[in-house]
Amino acid sequence: MPAKRVIPCLDVKNGRVVKGVQFKDLRDLGHPVDLAKRYDLEGADELVFLDISASLENRGTRESWVREVARELSIPFTVGGGVACVDDAKRLLRAGADKVAVNTAAAQRPALVSELAEAFGRQCVVAAVDVKRDEALAWRVFLKGGTEPTDRSALDWLWELNDLGAGEILLTSMDRDGTGAGFDVQLIERASELPIPLIASGGAGMDIHFLEALEHGADAVLAATLFHEGILSIPQLKAYLAHNGILVRI
Amino acid sequence: MITLIDYGAGNLASLEGALDRLGLEHVRAGRPDQGGETGPLVLPGVGHFETAQRALRDCGWWREIPGLVAEGRPLMGICLGLQLLAEGSEEAPKASGLGLIPGIVRRLGPGVKVPHMGWSQVQQNFPHPALPDPKGSWLYFVHSYALEPSRETVYVARHGRPFSAVEARGAVMGFQAHPEKSGPAGLLLLQASLAWMGAVTPAPEAPCN
Repeated sequence: MPAKRVIPCLDVKNGRVVKGVQFKDLRDLGHPVDLAKRYDLEGADELVFLDISASLENRGTRESWVREVARELSIPFTVGGGVACVDDAKRLLRAGADKVAVNTAAAQRPALVSELAEAFGRQCVVAAVDVKRDEALAWRVFLKGGTEPTDRSALDWLWELNDLGAGEILLTSMDRDGTGAGFDVQLIERASELPIPLIASGGAGMDIHFLEALEHGADAVLAATLFHEGILSIPQLKAYLAHNGILVRI
Repeated sequence: MITLIDYGAGNLASLEGALDRLGLEHVRAGRPDQGGETGPLVLPGVGHFETAQRALRDCGWWREIPGLVAEGRPLMGICLGLQLLAEGSEEAPKASGLGLIPGIVRRLGPGVKVPHMGWSQVQQNFPHPALPDPKGSWLYFVHSYALEPSRETVYVARHGRPFSAVEARGAVMGFQAHPEKSGPAGLLLLQASLAWMGAVTPAPEAPCN
């Protein structure tokens, strides 16, 4: 079994890392390279960069900061946002990203996931899925940075993504994102039945929330605000997880 | 001079960044005539076995590599690069490997999540003059296939079953892990193996403390 991973998520807009609550009210946190280096030193296992402007404005992620991050970082990183075809992904991987995350474009054209898996291997393909609890569908899939509801049930879509060739799922609970109220562990439990790794996202507010998510089947936990604001440091969190019997890289 | 074999299927930017941090000179070579005359060859790789093999054939490297190795050029394969050094892979039963490391690459599992994605501990299986006993160091892996360990496998890791994490046969070395992505432990491993392969490190500066 690989170690459970702790992953800071950096939302990037116009080449700057930003943070908002529930996808709104953005605030500048600095240059991607500076934050990346800080998290590398602190013992993050991996980083995820989501270009939150790219999908909405239908624009590819900038390659220059991806290239810079790749040169400075000694841990793997994923880049997502506006990846709509094999060429978009190729440019990001060429610039040094280890994996690409797809979201809206994959939901609009599921064959994209298969094409990426075919071209680069499924381990390069992270399927990001934003979901909200829903009476009819249990959890409903949202697109375009959480602004556009779909008719898809999240759990059905996750299995479809697995069949299409996704190598990993990055699952964000929009109900919990930015609230600090804890991960949606019921969602994690259901999603962890998938045969591919699951990154749980949305809702981390304190150390015990990460432990809960991992104990409910997540392979990795992702958070932004907690780490960016220094409320919980990665070494602190890992020490806590190790103390509670979770296999982590220290 | 380290020659990075550039056939469009490797994460060269990260590798170059790591080599720069180690102060090792390197050049990208899309074709065999673009590489350095001497020094280690590095074969990176991400993706599908057969796609990579075809790309290496198209750019002329596939034909050249065995001869260069026979002449004594050191060669390091990373991730899919290691798998391509083996005799073949279950991922592409009709495509052959370079056959520089014995064995067939097999799919991981059953009973575990595939791809094996993340940090796993490695243990020494067979001592190598250049590589220290890792004693459970964490290395980063992203793969769905792996070589089964042989007696001569240098480091082993486990994902469901034991698999080969580091191989060495003479001047040919292979890493299933990504040393360029494995933090300080990975950089040390990269440095030790490339130094052993004859990569030149500039004289260290005098320490300032």
